[in-house]
Amino acid sequence: MSDLAQQAELTTRSGQSGQPLRLGVAEGMAGVLGLFLLISAVAPQFLAPGDPLGIDPLAAFAPPSFAHGFGTDESGRDIYTRVVHGTQYSLVIGVAATAIGLGLGIVLGTLAGMLGRVVDFTVNRFLEVLFAFPGLLLALLFILVFGPGVATATIAVGLSTAPGYARIIRGQLIAVRGAAFVEAATVLGRTRWQILLRHILPNTLAPLFVLATLGVGQAIVWAATLSYLGLGAEPPTAEWGAMLSAGRTYITSAWWMSFFPGLFIVLTAVTATVLGRSIDRRMRHA
Amino acid sequence: MLQIGPSIDFGPIHYWIESNNCILVGYTSGKETHSMHTWSNPHRAVRAVTGLALAGLFLTGCTANDTSNIADTGDPVSGGTLTYASGDAEPSCLDPHVGGNFPQGMIAAQYLESLVSRNSAGQIIPWLAESWTPSPDGLTWDFTLRGDVSFTDGTVFDAAAVQANIAHLRNPTTLSSTGYLALGKVASTEVVSPTVVRFIMTEPDSALLESLSQVWLAMESPAALERSQDENCVAPVGTGPFIVDSWVKQSAITLVRNDDYVSPPADADHSGPAYLDQVIWRFIPDSASRYAALQAGQVDVIDNAQPDTIVQATQSDSIEHLDSPRPGSSNRIELNSGKAPFNDVRVREAFIRSANVDDAVSSLFQGTATRSYSALSSVESTAVSDPTLFGYDPSAAAELLDAAGWGETDADGYRVKDGVRLSVQFPVSTNQSIPAEQSVFEQIQATAKETGFEVKLAPLDLSSWYAALATNDYDAVSAPYTKVGPDVLRILYHSDSIVPAPSGYFANLAQVNDPQIDELLTTAASTTDVAERTSLYADAQNRILAGFYILPLYDQQNHYLLRSDVVGLRTLPTVAVPTLYDAWLNR
Repeated sequence: MSDLAQQAELTTRSGQSGQPLRLGVAEGMAGVLGLFLLISAVAPQFLAPGDPLGIDPLAAFAPPSFAHGFGTDESGRDIYTRVVHGTQYSLVIGVAATAIGLGLGIVLGTLAGMLGRVVDFTVNRFLEVLFAFPGLLLALLFILVFGPGVATATIAVGLSTAPGYARIIRGQLIAVRGAAFVEAATVLGRTRWQILLRHILPNTLAPLFVLATLGVGQAIVWAATLSYLGLGAEPPTAEWGAMLSAGRTYITSAWWMSFFPGLFIVLTAVTATVLGRSIDRRMRHA
Repeated sequence: MLQIGPSIDFGPIHYWIESNNCILVGYTSGKETHSMHTWSNPHRAVRAVTGLALAGLFLTGCTANDTSNIADTGDPVSGGTLTYASGDAEPSCLDPHVGGNFPQGMIAAQYLESLVSRNSAGQIIPWLAESWTPSPDGLTWDFTLRGDVSFTDGTVFDAAAVQANIAHLRNPTTLSSTGYLALGKVASTEVVSPTVVRFIMTEPDSALLESLSQVWLAMESPAALERSQDENCVAPVGTGPFIVDSWVKQSAITLVRNDDYVSPPADADHSGPAYLDQVIWRFIPDSASRYAALQAGQVDVIDNAQPDTIVQATQSDSIEHLDSPRPGSSNRIELNSGKAPFNDVRVREAFIRSANVDDAVSSLFQGTATRSYSALSSVESTAVSDPTLFGYDPSAAAELLDAAGWGETDADGYRVKDGVRLSVQFPVSTNQSIPAEQSVFEQIQATAKETGFEVKLAPLDLSSWYAALATNDYDAVSAPYTKVGPDVLRILYHSDSIVPAPSGYFANLAQVNDPQIDELLTTAASTTDVAERTSLYADAQNRILAGFYILPLYDQQNHYLLRSDVVGLRTLPTVAVPTLYDAWLNR
């Protein structure tokens, strides 16, 4: 189908459903925020030129002011600078953890969906065992064995999201496996792997993209949770969860220390969710 | 679990999120909350974490409940229940003979009493012993006991009871650490008469009275000690003003008044039974929750108060502040002189000169702690202080590093020698170092970096922290030690203390191995002449300070906050544990 034809069909469909694909207010805001976060992650010094670890004891516990937009922490470090520089940790952890979860999910899901009953049965039982643990508990278990740190926290979060993805991929795969074009490919004499790579996987993974965008938001919150518990990034690293935890001690006297990192965790998770849903909506339209 | 470091305190443990939820619930409902519920669903935990940021906003809008102002305290009134909330770890055994750490000592001081006590001037005063006489050679001590005291189980307190207690402390199956070490020079005890007990020493011990004044060597009913250790741990029996009534683990210990009480220490404010009917001793590890509970009136006294809450409390009419630094060592960073890079005195001095401690202490402790320049607590009259050794001087530090061969600098700005970076492994016990102290370390890390030290802070739970020390995997560490009198120097800096105890712990974490210091400390420990002993300890301290083995920070902080209607609370001048004997409620 040519691009033109696609375009035509898209227009017709939107016309039929009566929902023009306008950019909503929420999507617009999420877009702007997403851009801000992206710049923060890639080039934090562009938005906050200061040193996120630079101390200034005499300026400690300063409330938000013109000089320090988000205030300062117990060692006089600028919270705004730290929040901006902390974006990269959160985004990298969020994206990497989702990638790990998704990658593992694809492998397990494909094994289960493609390699016959015995493998399917084995993988399914394995997934059920993993499902029996709440995700965060699974992550804690992993950290208990391999020790705290950013890398382990990322892998832990990734591992704990993998069973969910695997389940979805397996279901999707089984549905696509029986489709007419797969039958056609089989008739044409394509090997099993050729069919898998060229026909089944592309049709299985498209919906997963949406799911992964939503998953990034979830992974960021989980990673922040682990750091908050002292199991992820270690102080004085400018990581949001660790900052939230450090600020908690002073919550009655210096609310800004935990408020702004907390706000950015919420905003990032919301942004990822809104963008994910938006992509989802557009894909359904397409 | 048995704590091996005697009286090492456990500070606030601060990572349980449900405690935070309690702040929110406590404020919004104003009702009693449970601090022990668990999350059935991880998403709730996640929501709590993210919600915390928003909660901060309205929390600051909350103020303490207004209680009646107390202008005139008047005569003490009997009755009522006082709720005490401790930020320290809950002891695993309420008998301080077993192990012997600070949390045990704090609660045990309510139901156990010692042979002697110490007044605020630092002099030893009578308690369960009315008087004592050492022999001229210092090898025997006769203690004359009060004849009118009974344990709360009815057993009579006499010389045989003292003998049974000393035997209990020295029995290896008791697993005593603090008490056991304190009795190191006691060979045996003898019952001279029902009211006179004789201590026979292997050598003169100038610290014997100071050791016996500590709550870890308090007297327990011999009949109760004959029970199994498990039984005795749950409900030790003493002669004190309160009796252990019940212990709901991970929740609270209930103490009730001993109506037959007759034996307060010589410096108490009143005689006869205590004023309070009952004491509820709770454990709230999270400092913000603990303070919130005090503000809301759910608890009457909290310990381990954080600097920012102390500053807030001083501006409030409804909360009072009690500051009582602990005796023994100061809070200091010990530099491991047993291995590189701190086996070179120049590198040790460079590190000390590169650390801007003054600014860190003033910003983080907000006037609640005073900088120390001594190995000993400021409550010790024998403490030697030398500010000239510990000034912040980065250029002197740089020169020292150049002279020590650490002249090169790598791309990250750290000093290098033979391709090895100048790194300092610094395990931090999150149980013992309060958040403000952890931030002091972070600031030292930042200022030492300017000189070229890479300080690697590793926040660890207690068991991992002990493991790091036991495997010599540290270059710097902070481990305060509480003990009455300057004899603590022998435990901390004598080379004998580098050898680990059977438990694996060793107290000489700076690994000071100096025959001259050993000699001074050994001689001082058996010198009973006060002036001579003081001078020997002064020499030893000067040598320790000049060797740059330690970076003193401040006294071991021991701050209590109490509601203004709690009157008469004080700490025992022995090891600065609270005593509720004179306390009463003016409500």
